[in-house]
Amino acid sequence: MITIELEGRQIRVPEGLTVIEALWDTGHDVKRGIGCLSGLCGACTVAYLEAGAQRVKFGLGCQTVVAEGMNVIMLPYFPSRMARYDLAAMDNPLGELPEHYPELYACNDCKSCNVCPEWIHVANFVKSARDGEYAITADKVKDCHMCGLCASRCPKSIAPQYVGLYIQRACARGEAMPANLAKRLQEMAAPAYDTDFAGVMAMSDDELKDYCRKLACAIKES
Amino acid sequence: MYPELFFEQLDLVNATREQRKSVVPAPLAAREKAALLKTYHPDHKDAGFRDLRIGANKGDRVTHEFADLLESFSSLDHARVDLVPEITTDVLVLGGGGAGVTAALFAESRGARVLLATKLRLGNSNTIMALGGMQAAVAEQDSPARHFADTMIAGGFAGNRRLVKAMVEDGPAIVEWLLKIGVNFDREKNGDLATRMAGGLSAPRILSIGDHTGLNMMKVLKDELHKSDRIELSEFTPAVELTTNDAGACNGAILYDLGRRRYFTVRARAVILATGGAGRLHNQGFPTSNNFGATGDAIVLAYRAGARMEGLDSFQYHPTGVMFPEHMVGVLVTEAIRGLGAHLVNARGERFVNELETRDVVSAAIIRECTSGNGVGTPSGKVGVWLDIPVLEELYGKGLLRKRFPALFKKFMRVRIDITKRALLVYPTLHYQNGGVLIDETGESSVRNLFVAGEAAGGIHGRNRAMGNALLDIFVFGRRSGIAAAGKIDQEPGRLTLNHVANYYGRLKSLRISSVAKSPTLFPEFIVDKI
Repeated sequence: MITIELEGRQIRVPEGLTVIEALWDTGHDVKRGIGCLSGLCGACTVAYLEAGAQRVKFGLGCQTVVAEGMNVIMLPYFPSRMARYDLAAMDNPLGELPEHYPELYACNDCKSCNVCPEWIHVANFVKSARDGEYAITADKVKDCHMCGLCASRCPKSIAPQYVGLYIQRACARGEAMPANLAKRLQEMAAPAYDTDFAGVMAMSDDELKDYCRKLACAIKES
Repeated sequence: MYPELFFEQLDLVNATREQRKSVVPAPLAAREKAALLKTYHPDHKDAGFRDLRIGANKGDRVTHEFADLLESFSSLDHARVDLVPEITTDVLVLGGGGAGVTAALFAESRGARVLLATKLRLGNSNTIMALGGMQAAVAEQDSPARHFADTMIAGGFAGNRRLVKAMVEDGPAIVEWLLKIGVNFDREKNGDLATRMAGGLSAPRILSIGDHTGLNMMKVLKDELHKSDRIELSEFTPAVELTTNDAGACNGAILYDLGRRRYFTVRARAVILATGGAGRLHNQGFPTSNNFGATGDAIVLAYRAGARMEGLDSFQYHPTGVMFPEHMVGVLVTEAIRGLGAHLVNARGERFVNELETRDVVSAAIIRECTSGNGVGTPSGKVGVWLDIPVLEELYGKGLLRKRFPALFKKFMRVRIDITKRALLVYPTLHYQNGGVLIDETGESSVRNLFVAGEAAGGIHGRNRAMGNALLDIFVFGRRSGIAAAGKIDQEPGRLTLNHVANYYGRLKSLRISSVAKSPTLFPEFIVDKI
């Protein structure tokens, strides 16, 4: 058993539990803030102080194992403003970024937002967003879970997770139609499209098996 | 960090790597596969199943876990609940994962008012946890027909060919839609969509977004949902029962407000059930890769309303679930790792199955090794085999893992295991409910006005789902059910009743079933045994 301070209460728990398991073990009926339990969804963010440490750390409750003397609370949500927009209806979404997120331009690069449990260098992508280097931002936020911890630290109330998502979506939309997809869609729209395949509904079970196996093998061998 | 007791084993994995590269296990013949599955796959372990005693699928073989849910009563007192609707809408979507949000978006696009209710937070779902990718036949050498063939073969020809055809033919158009709403699929240098191989595929067909495919899709879908005022959102309000009208058609649901601890009723012209799978039922004690909410609620609700099920005795056990460290047990290691050529290695340093076999076969082979003394034990008494990931750095050059699998790399760096140097201990993890509520091509179940999409739906994947088909399925049948449900907006939903529940309970009682289990489960109790 180890002693920790959990949600402001000193309590003994078995060793090796994650913060969430420690909460459940001590009778906290936590549902809000529980998601994938795999460190992927960003629902279960926690803030904690390790024994003897001075600096508060942040992490995911399902992946953070409690240790002797740890002082920990769940921080499953932080209020941040999310712009509403219809991306498909916009002509130049990247150009409209300042209208939707004007606070972005107040960023003075203080780097307070670098608390990402996914180890994303948040300050870097916020800076590249502010400076119009959108491709860099879009690439950097691929691993963002939208947990919002970074927003909780920003003195200018910027929500880096929403700004990042806006840019990620806008950049993806701005890319050219992939040639392989365009070709396939065109083939499928043509009247000659796979007449052979259209017949599968009428096949007997054995005919269907033969048809499928032949198709699958033909490719493997070629 | 690995404890010392693993060092000898880890050294063996490193020492045998070079020699293993040239010893590729031969793919199994159909007969050998069947024998392996019969002996080792959990779906064939008769002790895990019984025949259902009630309902539309009476007499069917189902898992004990499902039978327990279906042969039980709800904690809702159906005779006393207030059936006066608190909310009235056109389309009620239950479930906030990929299928539910897609259904809501398409229903709204066809003019319907939508209420989307979800048990947890919007987006908390298995969609977010889909790592490796989504299938769609867009590669030059590929075709929807080949996608069809691979899917039917992977499912042992148990899948419904109409549903499979619908799924594969919608694939390319779904990709186009996702690109339009800003999903950033990986591309080749020339701008083509990057396509990759996976187990059981005859052509490269996996589209991905790094190793966070589902997460990035779900982020976009959630954002997209907020664009319209016509979609109302209700979080932390799980559905506990459907309602039906006098003709037996579905016309709403009873939701439970987790915060206020009270039930309330929603009336709708059509209901789309998209509450996902059942991994948190932990069949046969298996660990699971599923999220907290995956407790099979859809099966219970739809079955009581009279819907037919399909394949409730078939689950997918993903071959590579983490077995160490303890707090990550069950967490998924993406199949893309095997797709690229990582080795599965037993305690003797040998490969024992062709890693590109379908998931059911690979899982059965791992279980065979572990039950025949070729597994590796953990301090808590669990057993697994090694997944030699570092070999990929030798095959494709240093830096590959950090670049292609940043999420996986980071996940293990947090516990100080460097996957570029160390193998991971893995064992099959309960991953996917292959069966579910039987649907037609529009997503409608055998109960009128009740649509089902995503993992809750059955009939598509047969007895084994191929990698990447779940992500495609949620969009295809989410879209189809959303459109078809919106087509019902001119019809009168009728009086809300729980007659189907009263009838169901009557049959339970006449069979002298007096279960103590309450269903739907809503939240798992697995924590207790873990501690």
